[in-house]
Amino acid sequence: MSRGLLLVLAILISVTAAAGPALAAETIKIGFFAPLTGPAAADGKSVMQAAQLAVDEINARGGAAGKPVELVAYDDRFDPREAVAIANKLIEQDRVVAVVSGSYSGPTRAVAPIFQRAGIPMISAYGVHPDITLAGDYIFQQSFIGPVQGKAGAEVAVKLLNARNIVSLVMDNDFGRSLGKAFREHAESLGATVHEELFPFGEKEFTPILARIRGMNPDLIYTTGYFMEAALTVKQARELGITAQILGTEGADSFQFPEIAGDAAEGVVITTNLNRDDERPIARRFMELYRARFGHEPDMVAASTYDAFIILAMAIDKAGTDPRAIRDAIAETRNFEGVTGLIAGYTEVGEVLKSVQVQQFRDGRYRFLAVIDDIDLITPPQ
Amino acid sequence: MLAQQFVSGIVIGGVYALIAMGLTLVYGVLRILHVAHAAVYATGAYVGLITFQRTDNLWLGLAAAAVFCGLFGVMIHRFVYGPLLDQPRIVPLIASIGLFIFSQDFLRLLFGPYAMSFPASVPFGLLELGDAVIPGRQVFILAVTAVLLALTWYVVGRTRLGLAWTAVSQDAETAVAMGVNVPRVVAFNFLFGSSIAAIAGILVGMHYNSVYPAMGEMPAYKMLAVVVLGGLGSVPGTVVAAFLLGLVETLLVGFAGFVLPRDAIAFVALIAILLLRPEGLFGRSDA
Repeated sequence: MSRGLLLVLAILISVTAAAGPALAAETIKIGFFAPLTGPAAADGKSVMQAAQLAVDEINARGGAAGKPVELVAYDDRFDPREAVAIANKLIEQDRVVAVVSGSYSGPTRAVAPIFQRAGIPMISAYGVHPDITLAGDYIFQQSFIGPVQGKAGAEVAVKLLNARNIVSLVMDNDFGRSLGKAFREHAESLGATVHEELFPFGEKEFTPILARIRGMNPDLIYTTGYFMEAALTVKQARELGITAQILGTEGADSFQFPEIAGDAAEGVVITTNLNRDDERPIARRFMELYRARFGHEPDMVAASTYDAFIILAMAIDKAGTDPRAIRDAIAETRNFEGVTGLIAGYTEVGEVLKSVQVQQFRDGRYRFLAVIDDIDLITPPQ
Repeated sequence: MLAQQFVSGIVIGGVYALIAMGLTLVYGVLRILHVAHAAVYATGAYVGLITFQRTDNLWLGLAAAAVFCGLFGVMIHRFVYGPLLDQPRIVPLIASIGLFIFSQDFLRLLFGPYAMSFPASVPFGLLELGDAVIPGRQVFILAVTAVLLALTWYVVGRTRLGLAWTAVSQDAETAVAMGVNVPRVVAFNFLFGSSIAAIAGILVGMHYNSVYPAMGEMPAYKMLAVVVLGGLGSVPGTVVAAFLLGLVETLLVGFAGFVLPRDAIAFVALIAILLLRPEGLFGRSDA
């Protein structure tokens, strides 16, 4: 009896002694930062949810390289200085093997050189600024850069929607300006006339600009605003009796866009990277899981963040936990079926190669309108 | 087009006036820059929206927000500013900023960071004046603003309470000596100013069809510019400055396009006025 008990005890102790420290030490830490508070908190919440969803998925499938993945997440408050402090913490204290940025271009640009110097690979989930990847070969971008999307927008405006007389409303920040510039150049090269108006990030009152535009009788209005600016542009334009087709960007790809725009959302076309009518299992599964767990429609920032984590986990599966090897594995990604479409791979500088989705808001949600996968259009200019 | 720009300038200016009123009233009697007033404004929008969602009655939403925020304002005075009044003026100011940040994050924790829509229908249709189109919502905002500004004018200019407010703002010690019940004046002050700000919050929430935790951010600093422009503590000055600012912003953006961020215009005007007329548009030079 007592011998039997001793034996059981001995086995228990040896098992826990072996497994305990192994479990504690052998997680793979992936760093993450996003604007969870402050003016961009809505996107921060979406990407945080997507990150949790992705990490839970990865762990349910047995983790990466056979070890559980641990998400080390911080709030950068949409502040580049805060992001820099977080970057140093992730590198020195948390000793993460790789990082996903769930933040905007500003904070992501600020930390890219820091991760590059430390030799820690970072995937920017939805930044659009071309300078982010210029920090070096450890930095990747999961969303097409501004110039690609702007060009695609012009293609949609002129070829698909047959616009000739275009007014472009350009938001005065990294995002708006890089899209606006590419849009204008390409639209003009396709023979349309483009009249440009600038507005500041956070603008709510578009009636002064719109009242002036009304006299120009444009057949299309392009807006590079985020969901709030775009929704108010659409709403106020319709109230002033402007009937021109409105074309937006991924900035308007949020379940909050129709919430604020109301009936005016109907018919609006956007360029984005999430196709709501995607029938591929990975996309369906993501959208269903996200809806069920968080109770609202997923948006493109969430989808892009999810893809970033899955690609990272695959790279770790292949390469193990050495940051250098992980970097190489990410760079070697080819034809990956992601939630945001077929990811052909990354360019030399680390920009993603994937098709641009064209969605139209009809009957209460965004629906498939077209897809742009012409390789000349979606390859980032060097 | 001019008419259209003019109308939207007036709508914006009217809302500025409503938000800034509470600040002016508080500054008039306590000489405190009440930054947390912007939090009262955002809270008002939420209370109004939640009540509206539950009851589908906009008037009830307006009333609930006015009452709730009126009391909120009185509490802020009682528990935050009250104990700090004998401290240097920077102390209540810092407390006010702290309260503002706290309230903003509290709203975020309570209601989440996503913007909520305010789908209230108003008892007005589209109004067409010449070539200007005024949506019913804007007509409603103009009407409510006009009523509230008239009410403010009546309360401050025609009632004993308003007289007491003027007396306290001109010289608190003499007012006390003359038998003015200062605590009552101050409490009423917070009640009235905060109620009006709450209604302004609802109007803005309806105007932009969105209520979100950070909506007080812009008013938090821009209203300071309005109050200083108007001559610190001057009620008519605040109203004139608010409408001027609303019109200048709108007309400048409307005719010249994007010269500088709309929110910067307030501060350019502020610097210009302070250089030319340091006491503000309607201030007394000895204030």
